[in-house]
Amino acid sequence: MRLTRSTLAGSAVLLAVVALMTMGANRALAHKEKHTPDQLKIFEDLFMEQVKLGDLLFHGDGATEKKLNAQLSKTGMACAMCHPFASDTHPHEFPKFQEQMNKFATLRDMINWCIEKPNEGIKINDDSDAMKALEAYIYWSNRGSRLDAGRH
Amino acid sequence: MDHLQDERREIARALKTPGARPDPSLQITRRTFVHKSLLTAGVAAGAATFGWFPLINTVDLAWGQTAFKFAWVSDTHLYPKNVNTRFVEKAVRAMKEVQAMNPPADFLIFGGDLAQLGDPVELDLGNDILKEVKIRKVFIPGEHDWYLDMGKKWEALFGKQPWTFDHKGVRFVGLDTVSRAADYWTAKKMTPTERMGHMATLDGSVAGAWAGVGRDQLEWLNKTLSSWAKDRPVIVFTHNPLYEYYPPWNFWVRDWREVQEVLKPYKNVTNIHGHTHQVLYNEIGTMRSIGMLATSWPWPYAPDGVPALTKCHLRADPGDHFDGVGWAQLSVAAAGKVENEYMMWRKKDHILGEAQPDSGCGDNGNQILTPRLADREWVYPGSYK
Repeated sequence: MRLTRSTLAGSAVLLAVVALMTMGANRALAHKEKHTPDQLKIFEDLFMEQVKLGDLLFHGDGATEKKLNAQLSKTGMACAMCHPFASDTHPHEFPKFQEQMNKFATLRDMINWCIEKPNEGIKINDDSDAMKALEAYIYWSNRGSRLDAGRH
Repeated sequence: MDHLQDERREIARALKTPGARPDPSLQITRRTFVHKSLLTAGVAAGAATFGWFPLINTVDLAWGQTAFKFAWVSDTHLYPKNVNTRFVEKAVRAMKEVQAMNPPADFLIFGGDLAQLGDPVELDLGNDILKEVKIRKVFIPGEHDWYLDMGKKWEALFGKQPWTFDHKGVRFVGLDTVSRAADYWTAKKMTPTERMGHMATLDGSVAGAWAGVGRDQLEWLNKTLSSWAKDRPVIVFTHNPLYEYYPPWNFWVRDWREVQEVLKPYKNVTNIHGHTHQVLYNEIGTMRSIGMLATSWPWPYAPDGVPALTKCHLRADPGDHFDGVGWAQLSVAAAGKVENEYMMWRKKDHILGEAQPDSGCGDNGNQILTPRLADREWVYPGSYK
């Protein structure tokens, strides 16, 4: 997979297709129609595209950072250097009180804390493409972990 | 996973013959973090408490009449100074502390991963920092030192492996566990920088099971030890652990079973390794393994495979870059007792975590992890800067 504008544009087209397929002629029944295998495949592909983008960001890929307008580190360190397989990120434990920030925090708060403190990078917007991709990768990599919100 | 567990049980049965343990004259002390509940009574007395001390890695050794110390530093992962000064500061601090040991250590072993990306600038910087230490120095490479130019710069600065020397009744061995990766770069026409980038990604899949001792070194090790009495102490330095901890991160050598076959006749073997950046302790038959801290950053404990004898270190604070890292001093005392003292740069009474919220491995009881996907697809844009 090479990340190009066409890849990102392809994602946008997929989103549009999904929107059309799910809206259809009868919006009220959108969630009552049986899902077709094609629909499910599109949902999965959309998600995995974000997971792979997040994986590359998480592993310090400069080209992906550039495309998503992010600079997650200025120390040479990447997220995965302390969190291989996204271990010890504990997405299933948020929101919770986070000592480093001395506040009740979300996973997105924690991602930005790591970017700004250990990595000395530039904080990203909560609803940015980079944040969504990082979140997708971290959650995907921790699939099957027990939901345990609030645990320290 | 069931198959893996079955295989591990079978290997344990083959290697851990009834009653087989490292020679008791090489005592485990409170400075080597082990679960006292898992030790036999004869050794447990020495492990009744755990260490409370500042953090580095040192070892006290002694055999016969002469006690001595040596120091271990590894995994400095230096970047050029204009990229990252944090790791430079910590490497400098470790060297100054080793040099300040009183009485002085007999020698320093540098256990690999001096550089982050094998860059000659990084290796030269490390070489300059190592000059702070005036005592004898010996070296083994890490994978981060090797795969930009396939070890040329490393060997020009620090010499070749394997090597051996006898010191005050102990036979020391240094092995290369990093240079024998299968060729993953030629067919994909990787540049040296790309090859190094994949090797430097701990959770990457492209470089495969690169860690190994190799047939040539196994034969050399067998021959080297054949002139040594079976009950006399042997200390083997390696970058990777000589047992299977967690293969997906190369926390092992792929031919560790063959290594154990070579070492099995010797009753007093201690393997000291880096690479894992964490407090580790394990025993296989008559060999004990001690995992050393990095000076750069701590790795999390792997999702499975942590040896049952290991007492995990405290969860590191990512806001404090001197936490969870350091070096070690090891002492060889009279009667072949080996002590390892982790010199962790953290408050001296806050190194180990026993309660679930504090332990580096107890913390992850609710965590299930999935290996990454993005680097399994080719052409892969790269996992490095």
